[in-house]
Amino acid sequence: MSENANLLRDLFASFTRELDLARPGSDQGQFPMLDLLGNLRDEAASNPGSEGLSACAKEAADKLVGIIESGKLFAAEDLTWLRAVESTLGGHLGGTPAAAVIVPLPEPAAPSPVVIESPSIMLNLAEDGELLREFITESREHLNNIEQGVLALEERPDDADTLHSIFRAFHTFKGGAGFLNLIPVNRLAHALESLLDLARQHKLVIDRRIVELILRGRDTLKTAVDQIEARVSGAHPPDAFDVPYVGLTAEVRAIVDGGPSAPAPALAPLAESAPEPAEKPAALATATVKVETSKLDALVDLVGELVISQSLVAQDLSSLSQLDPQFARNLSQIGRVTRELQRVSMSLRMVPIRGAFQKMARVVRDVGAKQGKDVRLVTEGDDTELDRNMVEELADPLMHMIRNAVDHGIENPAARVARGKPATGCVHLRARHQSGSIVVEIEDDGEGLSQERILAKAVERGLAAPGVKMTEEEIFEFIFAAGFSTAQKVTDVSGRGVGMDVVRRNIERLRGQVDVSSAPGKGSLFKLIVPLTLAIIDGLIVKLGAERFIIPTLSVRESFRPQKGMVSTVQGRGEIVNVRGRLIPLLRLSQLFSVEGAAADPTEGVIVVVTTGSAVKCLLVDSLAHRQEVVIKSVGDLVRRTNPAVAGAAILGDGRVGLILDVHALGSAAFSYAQAA
Amino acid sequence: MKTLVNLPAAAAPTAPAPGKYLTFVLGGESYGLTVLQVREIIRPMSVTPVPRLPRHILGVINLRGKVVPIFDLRLKFGLPLPATVERACVIVAQAKLASGLPAHIGLLVDTVEEVVALTAENIDDTPAFGFETPTQYIMGVARLGDEVKLLLNLDQVLHDESNDSAGASLL
Repeated sequence: MSENANLLRDLFASFTRELDLARPGSDQGQFPMLDLLGNLRDEAASNPGSEGLSACAKEAADKLVGIIESGKLFAAEDLTWLRAVESTLGGHLGGTPAAAVIVPLPEPAAPSPVVIESPSIMLNLAEDGELLREFITESREHLNNIEQGVLALEERPDDADTLHSIFRAFHTFKGGAGFLNLIPVNRLAHALESLLDLARQHKLVIDRRIVELILRGRDTLKTAVDQIEARVSGAHPPDAFDVPYVGLTAEVRAIVDGGPSAPAPALAPLAESAPEPAEKPAALATATVKVETSKLDALVDLVGELVISQSLVAQDLSSLSQLDPQFARNLSQIGRVTRELQRVSMSLRMVPIRGAFQKMARVVRDVGAKQGKDVRLVTEGDDTELDRNMVEELADPLMHMIRNAVDHGIENPAARVARGKPATGCVHLRARHQSGSIVVEIEDDGEGLSQERILAKAVERGLAAPGVKMTEEEIFEFIFAAGFSTAQKVTDVSGRGVGMDVVRRNIERLRGQVDVSSAPGKGSLFKLIVPLTLAIIDGLIVKLGAERFIIPTLSVRESFRPQKGMVSTVQGRGEIVNVRGRLIPLLRLSQLFSVEGAAADPTEGVIVVVTTGSAVKCLLVDSLAHRQEVVIKSVGDLVRRTNPAVAGAAILGDGRVGLILDVHALGSAAFSYAQAA
Repeated sequence: MKTLVNLPAAAAPTAPAPGKYLTFVLGGESYGLTVLQVREIIRPMSVTPVPRLPRHILGVINLRGKVVPIFDLRLKFGLPLPATVERACVIVAQAKLASGLPAHIGLLVDTVEEVVALTAENIDDTPAFGFETPTQYIMGVARLGDEVKLLLNLDQVLHDESNDSAGASLL
């Protein structure tokens, strides 16, 4: 009991000290005092006989919250009032069961101190640099968790766990910002936190409006964190910057004050819901270790070498192992462990695609809201794992296509109902593994692609001759042409086709492909097929003279030994191959690369048909060796710039380096090579 | 300190600093490379030629899982090749590309000699004439007894390489 009394006295003493430092026209001490009052309130509430003290502290704390949230600095009246609070509190502590004298409070509205503009943030980089960096990393995590949580809340508004985890995320964020004296950030976070606190106490129902407000607040906070990061990293001069938080906090205030189910003045005790500031959002936390990617790469390099050395050793010793079965067992055990090690080390870079998908939920929501459409995003296969770089690289194309789907695929609710569809549109986002690649599908149940309209536009732009019969596939191909759009109205979100050429280019850079299918009136399906990782490639190893080259299997269409007469020369245009009636240009790899000792007669070699985007080329090589998964290594800046047709290198089974061909660059570089030769 | 002749403006003139240098023979001439840039010395290994690269870049090798280009500076500097290659070595060095990024490259040399400590008294600026080697790649010369060592400016070699090849790829 006396312990508690001592604690109360300590808290009161700290409060007095803070108050001594407070000055009119400054906001110094606002947060510490609020904290201390809150503690006093809670501690006194659990101490029999101190109810009066608790009530007084609570009243004062609520008042102070009002001052803080309005973004005002201390006015002289506020300090006078706080002094009065101090003496009342002191009276309570002195043991006099004061007749619950609630201090006369100045009406907050009447003596309106000058509402200052958003105080700007000036960072103290010299002293706080390290702390700021930590704050930035943590904040990003919190803000991401908040965004995901809020979107989840929109679906299930009464999910208490999610609500708590968002609340805690805001709380921790607020604490960090307060500690680093990022006042506007702190205030906004505080306001949003108070909103969630009400929801936690079932005094506020989370509806669309609240979600909207929290998301906007979250975006403002993210912008602020971005600004801080730019200054900490030196990308931006370390000047002061503003955070536009006043409007948002006022909105929050309006909701809190005039909420539909405004709470009775007698507030429920807050003590039990007092948050743990140190706690991480439990629902979303995972145990991870951050490792520099360069270390990971080094590990993968070394494991690759181990695999090669292991197979060389096993070959050398295979004759010995026939004599001794024990030795043979050990040898094969090493082989197994090595392969397992390789598998695990490759998987270190793998992450679930969930992160990218979650971002899309926000995109669907925002674009839908802007267009007055009701759209639901359904994701499947969130756990599908792929290379971390790949997830990052996919984010942009996915965003483009999702926007397209919502903006142009999904019709207005009225139009949908008229067509006999549910008013709420639906975009499916699926991911799955398929034979060593990952397939991402974006399917909408909107109006689908109009073949007539695309064809008309293609003819108008001179991409197609009028009156020529074309297959569905060929027609859909046009939407990938640069600047092609059939959108009848231009929106700020997207025009169907605008950006599809960028999508295709990005996906091809990842050695993937894009497929389209669509049923008029029913919807469209875009299918992205990309390799699991940028680090490994499934390659066809071809021989040419004494050299070996690797052609990415994804771009190989077929290979065959040409018959006499299949290859013919077109005057001034080079050679072409007649592949089942289709004439395809022939590139002699040996000529392009000046490799000696290669077959000159096509009928002695093998033709590999490769596709590069929409173009098809035939490559003449000596023979096919085998197909193999290889780890892609950079050949360095120097080589890549000199020979763009070399996409990279890989260590082959015998420890030598094989060069990976970039068929796309090969096709376009062939002409310039021929000229140079 | 005189500015070196023929030096392109982009590269800051580098004065050879006193310290330890690895000396090696290129086309009969003795050269030095600061040990700070030397990563390791290996026996020549099987080189994969890369098509369309300048003749003095022999190709790439697999150095424990890293792909490293191999330079033959004798071809670049127009020096005679030795009659025998028994003592040939590859010096794996770290240098800066024109982009400022570090890169590992292998230098094929006739033979590696020793590591010597050079003081400021040993080192002179590059004479503007009298050597077959293009002088912009030489930071200075060192006298050790009656021997003369040419101190190689590897960053400059790579710097010009990047520029040259950028031009070559546009051909």
